[in-house]
Amino acid sequence: MSLDPSSNLLGLAFITGVTTGGLSCLAVQAGLLATSVARQAETDVAAQLAIKHVVAQRKKRSNRKLTKEQRRSERAALATLAQPEKPKRRNAATPIALFLSAKLVAYTVLGVFLGWLGSVLQLSPYSRAALQIGIGIFMLGTAARLFNLHPIFRYFVIEPPRFITRFVRRYAKNNASTVATPLFLGTLTIFIPCGVTQAMMVLAVGTGSPLLGAAIMFAFILGTTPVFFGLAYVATRLGEVLHTRFLRVAGAVVLILGLVSIEGGLNLMGSPYSVSNLLNSAAVSIAEASGNYQDVAAAQPDANGAITIQASNGGYSPNLIKAPTGKPVSLTVVTSGTTGCTRGFVIPSIGFQRSLPETGQITISIPASAANGNLRYTCSMGMYSGYFEFA
Amino acid sequence: MAKQVFSVKGMHCSACVMTLEGLEDELAGIRSLKVSLHKQRAEIEYDEKKISEDEIRRAFERAGYGLARA
Repeated sequence: MSLDPSSNLLGLAFITGVTTGGLSCLAVQAGLLATSVARQAETDVAAQLAIKHVVAQRKKRSNRKLTKEQRRSERAALATLAQPEKPKRRNAATPIALFLSAKLVAYTVLGVFLGWLGSVLQLSPYSRAALQIGIGIFMLGTAARLFNLHPIFRYFVIEPPRFITRFVRRYAKNNASTVATPLFLGTLTIFIPCGVTQAMMVLAVGTGSPLLGAAIMFAFILGTTPVFFGLAYVATRLGEVLHTRFLRVAGAVVLILGLVSIEGGLNLMGSPYSVSNLLNSAAVSIAEASGNYQDVAAAQPDANGAITIQASNGGYSPNLIKAPTGKPVSLTVVTSGTTGCTRGFVIPSIGFQRSLPETGQITISIPASAANGNLRYTCSMGMYSGYFEFA
Repeated sequence: MAKQVFSVKGMHCSACVMTLEGLEDELAGIRSLKVSLHKQRAEIEYDEKKISEDEIRRAFERAGYGLARA
């Protein structure tokens, strides 16, 4: 198992947060924020009502002439009532910052737990592949729900228990501390994740690593923060309009994540039907059919059955090795300053998985019994792969 | 006291459910408000003397959701 954060995945999580995540939960979380500073809002409303009342009174009395003293006292009343609004707008940044900071910390801690959960569930490359494919299917269902393809896809949302949502709602309404309430509510948002957030959570489980799980959740929530912070000032209705518009974007992003997850799962299983393996096979077939063997980056073991491959951040080279059937192979995997997920090296069909050193090498013995057909190797996330072709 | 099932439009996630169920505390005359995201429905028990169906519908619309009799 590799504990190295995959920069691709983290970048994707961050971009998802920036583009869709902030908007996806904005409506309710902005509402929670607003209620967390409820006293201020209520004072605003009260002030506005009082101003209206004074203006109405003034209109009523417009027929009779007011004394200078009466006019002065009315102007003073209006000025006093209108005053509190300005400092409140400035102070609004503090609870929002507290809320978002608490949310970031809470989701990062949740990411540690989810990654740990994934590592507990990860018993073998096959069980991990099944988990990853399951996650991919959940994401495809989530995408279909976001595209509103069919009502059945609504069941891909995990609804938190009613008592939790009720508690969060009522706490927000009844507590108006400017420090504790936003912090607490920010933490509580982990119980009411939106669709895209849920997709990120299952992705964190799929990493099978507490560190990477935390990193994914951190990147995603960090990505949502600027959008959220900016739009928290804007009226909720605008948030909803944008929300509706961005649902399709969110659907597209989750769809891609789902396909990537299934692809990874198939690679982890050593399946020839993953897109990358199908493309590799097609490229080899085309090159062989056209006689351009030099196009195929195939390597062969030496006379002693030894072969070396390089594991870099961009994949494995060579990713196709041709070897004779029934003869054992001594495979050496070399790393040199490798920090990506290729360090988690897996050969599913012989049950091999090991974390490679950042710089160094390991040698794996592939027994004669496994030297037949195609033998696939992959990174622990199924993102990069290659194979032996025994003939 | 009336009890009516409505279909709700515009719900995307459990956060929407929470927002709508919050109307139970905000609108006088609503005794209970249960929202199902999966069924896209709301079961509302309300006092007709205190609040009309139209007022409830308008409150849903203000929150950004559509409400119609199921």
